[in-house]
Amino acid sequence: MVQTRRDFLKRTAALSAASYLGMLLPFNSAGEALAADDTVWHRGSCRLCGTGCRLELGVKNGLPTALRGVPESRTNMGFLCMKGMLFWKVMNHTDRLTTPLYRAKKSDKFKKISWDEAMNIAADKFAGAVKEHGPNSVAYYGSGQALTEETYFFQKIFRGGLQTNNVEGNPRLCMASATAGYMTSFGADEPIGGYADIEKADCIFIIGSNMAEAHPVIFRRVMRRKLDNPKVTVINADPRISLTSRIADIHLQFNPGTDLALLNALAYVIIDEKLHNEQFIKDYVAFKKGKEESCDFEEYKKSLADYTPEKAATIMGGKVTADQIREVARKFATSKGTLSMWTMGLNQRKQGVWANNLIHNLHILTGQLLKEGADSLSLTGQPNACGGVREAGGLCHILPGHRPIEKEPLRNQVEEAWGVPKGRIPAEPGLHTMAMFTAVNEGKIKAMWINCTSPVQSLPNCDLYNKGMAKDDTFIVCTDIFPTKTTELAANLVLPTAFHFEKTGVYGCTERRSQITRKAINPPKGARPEVEIIRDWAALLAKKLNDPVITQCIKPFEGLEPEYALPKAIWDEYSQKLTKGRDNDLSGAPYEVLEGMFDGVQWPAPTAEYAKTGGTVKKFVRGMDPLAEKLKTDDKPYQFYGAAHPDHKLWVWLRPQANPAEMPDADYPFYLSTGRIIDHWHTMSITGRIPELLRANPYAYIEINPKDATRLGIKPGDMVEITSRRGTNIMPAKVYEGPIEGMVFAYWHDQHPDRMINKVTIDAIDPGSKQPEFKICACKIKKVSGPQALKPYIT
Amino acid sequence: MRTSFRFTLLLAFLCLVWTCASAQGSEGSASKTGKHPEITEQEKLVACSECHQTATPEVYKQWFDSLHGIGMVKCYQCHGTFENFNVEPAVSVCATCHKKMVEKCPKDQKCWACHKPHSFKRANK
Repeated sequence: MVQTRRDFLKRTAALSAASYLGMLLPFNSAGEALAADDTVWHRGSCRLCGTGCRLELGVKNGLPTALRGVPESRTNMGFLCMKGMLFWKVMNHTDRLTTPLYRAKKSDKFKKISWDEAMNIAADKFAGAVKEHGPNSVAYYGSGQALTEETYFFQKIFRGGLQTNNVEGNPRLCMASATAGYMTSFGADEPIGGYADIEKADCIFIIGSNMAEAHPVIFRRVMRRKLDNPKVTVINADPRISLTSRIADIHLQFNPGTDLALLNALAYVIIDEKLHNEQFIKDYVAFKKGKEESCDFEEYKKSLADYTPEKAATIMGGKVTADQIREVARKFATSKGTLSMWTMGLNQRKQGVWANNLIHNLHILTGQLLKEGADSLSLTGQPNACGGVREAGGLCHILPGHRPIEKEPLRNQVEEAWGVPKGRIPAEPGLHTMAMFTAVNEGKIKAMWINCTSPVQSLPNCDLYNKGMAKDDTFIVCTDIFPTKTTELAANLVLPTAFHFEKTGVYGCTERRSQITRKAINPPKGARPEVEIIRDWAALLAKKLNDPVITQCIKPFEGLEPEYALPKAIWDEYSQKLTKGRDNDLSGAPYEVLEGMFDGVQWPAPTAEYAKTGGTVKKFVRGMDPLAEKLKTDDKPYQFYGAAHPDHKLWVWLRPQANPAEMPDADYPFYLSTGRIIDHWHTMSITGRIPELLRANPYAYIEINPKDATRLGIKPGDMVEITSRRGTNIMPAKVYEGPIEGMVFAYWHDQHPDRMINKVTIDAIDPGSKQPEFKICACKIKKVSGPQALKPYIT
Repeated sequence: MRTSFRFTLLLAFLCLVWTCASAQGSEGSASKTGKHPEITEQEKLVACSECHQTATPEVYKQWFDSLHGIGMVKCYQCHGTFENFNVEPAVSVCATCHKKMVEKCPKDQKCWACHKPHSFKRANK
């Protein structure tokens, strides 16, 4: 029966009125998120951002039925966002890949082949490339969504088996600057504190993060803290007023790329008004400039003379006042606990490492660290960028257990753990992500394995790199659960894999917390877990290359069933042999311990007894961190044992304001920035297949400040062309006072060729972290038509 | 700080058309069937809140100012989408995030007996 809006309104009103009167309405009690006798609930983690929300998958008759939060979890306390609530719906989606697909040429159509054929082709191509062109002609490009066991196993085969460090992953695109920031400021990667600081903080400083959409459950904790404690100050610093700004007491809106001036100005005020912590600085701090040249406090203070609040306000574009800068600096320095949080707004920048250093500077100067409610907390974008990629050796310059590859003794430790000859792992770092895809363009990479990610859509300036990936010079294997833009354009061989909860493994989230998800349901027939694929492929490689060392790499895992025993053996090797004694010590957290936790374990956790308490809430604090006691060098309460700082100090860096790689000019007068939308995950190959999520935001659109829109004659819904020096998009306009005047903003999930914004973004990289500057480039915009009806586009 | 959002995309126009068209008749109400009024596939690509900002402004405001509105808990999370739409969400949906509260709640009462729909303020406050 057709229903009218009027009737709907009446019904809605009736529901409201009845509730006001305390009446009960007819109620359908059917649903899946409450325990039902025949539903079994399996605990695991969410895979759709870096928060690490714990949830339970309901399974009935072998099929997924619902997801619900785990109230006892210290990450999400039972709350889920819409993605975490609904991703079970894709598990049995008809688009799931269930058969290996192969095409000799990328212009051919795929044909279905058997797993035996597929594995033989994959092994032939990689072995052939190594034989003919050497080890560095092959490469692995992985994902912050892969399980730790998968990333660890892939890199073991590439480094120990094939003898190349061409091991990279999409965390290079999101977290590399945070890693370099922590290493250079604190001497060790990953944060000192964690989410527990949110409920203790009196000042929360958010910069370069629209956490309301990118990390909604963390945002919920911040919202709750603010609403329950109105005296808590929330500051949001961003060129764009976003949904995160709704809870902010102060929004600092500035021209993109001028936040280094802001952060230096805050330091200026802190020192000028003597709000810095002199004793903390005396006890724990060194000052550095350039690459690593020592200086002193006075030189640092002098360097800030260019960042008086008045000067910074001018640099930032004039919307922020000098008095606001002073007010923020005072609150930052004098609150009982100040917690900073940021994500891609600082990281995806040509000066990303510097921006990270500058925010750490503020915490070091004020001593807003190492105590309740105080931390400098980088929010991770993906569920396992920290645990799998940063910790388990998923980037070209690091080995498992936070071991820099250039250190021979550390390479030898890994070789010994693997039982492979000394010198087997090459000493030279491999190609970082943008260099790797440049090498693909140049035809230097002959065989590449892309796992659980879609670089065709997610690389900056993607058209440039897609030309290389589309060529037949590079044989590309893709392991994934759905077709993507990358399987469509670049793959020769597509291998269908098991999805989350269809396999077993560990994710490590933002706050050094490792959490296990056990297999709960079978994958679709024909799909396999990656660990099984890697093992079988490596066995064939060993034969084709006649190399017993490759056999040695898989020897501990031979014959193990892939659902549990195989990933457990991989985790055991990694955690017991390669994290033991390292700063990310997880040797106290084997599967048996992780499975007993509602949430997981924060490293360092060197013993099972300690891990069962939840692990280390604050690093470097004696009495809270077992390594701080074990590695102490004096009697002070804080011990900075990070291997990158031999002086055991925190380092304050002199970092000047520096422009982005590309500034607006007469030809390209606007700043372009991009970001996530709450309903979708990355390239929407998962969330675009969930009707509720697809309909909520089926397309990308371009946000334009009303003053700019008026000047250019653009009305809401008009189709707007966005052009940079690299490419063009056309998408509908959303006109609202979000982006600062002179800036436009686009979400990046849309797969449609007209609306894939990474055709427009820039591939300039931070010289230290090698992370691209997705967040800022120059563009021009113009109206091309009035509103048009659009259709969602999913490959 | 509260941000003023102006959601006026192309499809707001479609919403207006639907609003006007719907106002012409009142047969087959949602109250009787619990279903969403029929709309086209294209109209289904409009976010719920965009239409309801106009269609049910009082409900929209209650939601927007509520913890759900600030915390970005959207309409479809409780009410579903068109194929599984429920005017009255099942309590079990609330349990997705509020499992312990639902378990504590008397079995003969629904969440909104105490928490006003959309504003989620307790009725006695």
